[in-house]
Amino acid sequence: MQRDVGSFPLAPGLRAKLIGAGFQTAQELLEIGPCELSKEIGISKEEALETLQIVRRECHSNATKTAGEPEAVGKCTALELLEQEQAQGFIITFCSALDDILGGGVQLTKITEICGAPGVGKTQLCMQLAVDVQIPECFGGLAGEAVFIDTEGSFMVDRVVDIATACVQHCQLIAETHQEEDFQKSLETFSLDSILSHIYYFRCHDYTEVLAQVYLLPDFLSEHSKVRLVIVDGIAFPFRHDFEDLSLRTRLLNGLAQQLISIANAHKLAVVLTNQMTTRIGQSQSMLVPALGESWGHAATIRLIFHWDNKQRLATLYKSPSQKESTIPFHITPHGFRDVHPPPPSQTPAEVEINPRKRPRIEGDKQQ
Amino acid sequence: MLGKVGDFEKVARCGSMATKKLRRAGLSQELCDRLSRHQITTCRDFLCLSLLELMKVTGQSYWNVQKLLCKVSLACAPKMQTAYEMKTKRAINPSSAYLSTTLDGLDKALHGGVACASLTEVTGPSGCGKTQFCLMMSVLATLPISMGGLDGAVIYIDTESAFGAERLVEIAEHRFPNYFGTEEKLFSMTRSIHLYRELTCDSVLKRIETLEEEIISKKVKLLIIDSIASVVRKEFDTKLQGNLMERSNFLAREASLLKYLAEEFSIPVILTNQITTRLSNGLDIQADLVSPADDMSLSEVSGASGSKDREPGYVTAALGNTWSHSVNTRLILQYHDLHTRQVLVAKSPVAPFSAFFYTIENSGLVLQDGKDHPDASWEGSSPVLQAIRVRTNILKDGFPSSTAETLKLTQPI
Repeated sequence: MQRDVGSFPLAPGLRAKLIGAGFQTAQELLEIGPCELSKEIGISKEEALETLQIVRRECHSNATKTAGEPEAVGKCTALELLEQEQAQGFIITFCSALDDILGGGVQLTKITEICGAPGVGKTQLCMQLAVDVQIPECFGGLAGEAVFIDTEGSFMVDRVVDIATACVQHCQLIAETHQEEDFQKSLETFSLDSILSHIYYFRCHDYTEVLAQVYLLPDFLSEHSKVRLVIVDGIAFPFRHDFEDLSLRTRLLNGLAQQLISIANAHKLAVVLTNQMTTRIGQSQSMLVPALGESWGHAATIRLIFHWDNKQRLATLYKSPSQKESTIPFHITPHGFRDVHPPPPSQTPAEVEINPRKRPRIEGDKQQ
Repeated sequence: MLGKVGDFEKVARCGSMATKKLRRAGLSQELCDRLSRHQITTCRDFLCLSLLELMKVTGQSYWNVQKLLCKVSLACAPKMQTAYEMKTKRAINPSSAYLSTTLDGLDKALHGGVACASLTEVTGPSGCGKTQFCLMMSVLATLPISMGGLDGAVIYIDTESAFGAERLVEIAEHRFPNYFGTEEKLFSMTRSIHLYRELTCDSVLKRIETLEEEIISKKVKLLIIDSIASVVRKEFDTKLQGNLMERSNFLAREASLLKYLAEEFSIPVILTNQITTRLSNGLDIQADLVSPADDMSLSEVSGASGSKDREPGYVTAALGNTWSHSVNTRLILQYHDLHTRQVLVAKSPVAPFSAFFYTIENSGLVLQDGKDHPDASWEGSSPVLQAIRVRTNILKDGFPSSTAETLKLTQPI
């Protein structure tokens, strides 16, 4: 009630008039009616009404969010958070080694960044995830949908068809060995066509279109509430040329990162970004580092770096708040993103209990 | 040296909604006038401002500014498609998906051929067949759809003056003797190939910008640039400070324009690149191969016959790391022995690493499949660092063995 008049999100001219007329706190505005206000500071009655509504709304509500966001981002205890985290699902990558170092898979409500040299497999993983997020719940998936924002033009429908077909076959094999009803039923809706129809694809040609698309994303997500994954492939390409003013670039990137974090939290989805590597020339040698500068390194919660060791592709977990740094090898097969060696036969019962949504892996399932 | 990055800004951007004037985004005239007093006239300018700045320049409240942001974003955001819709479009019209190279093994690996709406780079040492490949593809693009072509015109931007019309006709006559039996057909084919000679980076960029209208008016179905690397390497010397960044900027700009053209018109774009020598510490020596002597010095550096104690450098694709990100597909041509060469699929979103042997004949490139040359299940590695075989001691008999002259070229500069 004692909140200063100048701190309300009113038009600057209006604010100036209010302060000039002597209004100091919100309390004074709440006591006055629109007609009086309009006479006192010389604005129209409609403007006065609008001003009073804004002030009242700010004062009375706790969750002052725009329409479309489901619930207040308020406070909670660590215990509540723990329960949430344990019940939360992951998006599996079909490479069990990678899932392990990530702690189960790609996490929801977090931004995961994948950096890597050209041709190492970033887009392949993104396409794999866009299929994997749709796996039905009885198979251990999230039964969600995916938004794919493409800035490089590397999304190939043919490849997604291959990956999706392999995924459906994999689930069919599991259903056959288990012979349970709900498995069969989910398989009916989990087909190639349905997978493709639930990948929402946006092709952005420069950074303005990326900015515009991210502004519009909350509205899109309200209409498509089953989306559990937003992919931006790649975030670096549109920002690496066209910028003379690097501080503008940093500002825009930070703004983007913040919007994506708030979208990830509000809609409980995972955000995956891909980044390029750039050459940094040192004293006597050059090395590859993630592009977009040092300040961008803070934007992502989890950072994976894909690189080559001679002929083997490797993934390193470079930054994570909860997992240890480690490196694992992986393959890109015609079926998609896979392990190098098939995973160990069965998981310990204890692990399965902790996360009941994780489907126990069965020996002989993995196609190589 | 080339002008500042700012020079590129002045040239018209093609194809982006970013420069759409705010008036057409649905903002009121009054608001547009007010904004233009602050030099904010396009959607891009609007979206680059923070919320506070927007409130200040528009004089509106926070909530109204949010609504304006939505309006402006709607005006320039891309349209949504589902992957299913994309697949259906390709199935209905396969000629909008790829251009077959008529090299069966290669087509099969690439799921049809050179993909439309994407950039395909062909790189390799000089004399290996890059220009021959481009000439062959030019002929193929003009063929009718029933014969696997795209029934369209070709734009060929030549920066090395390597295009030979007689060779083009020779390839056409020998590859499709029945179809090109008449003079009539040959003339019509040659009439649809439009050649532009550009010799500087700036002129190449300007040319690409005018292509949008040319593609529409001439019904172009294939765009070839032979080569991207030569002009860039003439004008940017990456050892000078700041040039590496400028070069990357220029190349990224070019790539983004080409991608826009490729996708907008759903046509394939073929680019040729050169090779460079990469020393073991990661630095590159420019290798502009002009004479066979250069070949020899390079092969010495690349440790062709391993008698070296010191870690030699190796030959790989030029133009660096950022450029390798920008192309969607990379095909490497390299030498195998006296007559045979190899084409490697080094980077592809749909194909695994594959290798095929070929020779160059009257009819262009011809794949060799047979017992002597089994198709390699080749274990590739990073497309940026993939080593390329250059022509080794083939010409040794005709040239004096390593003299001081050639040795000088192997010294790090």
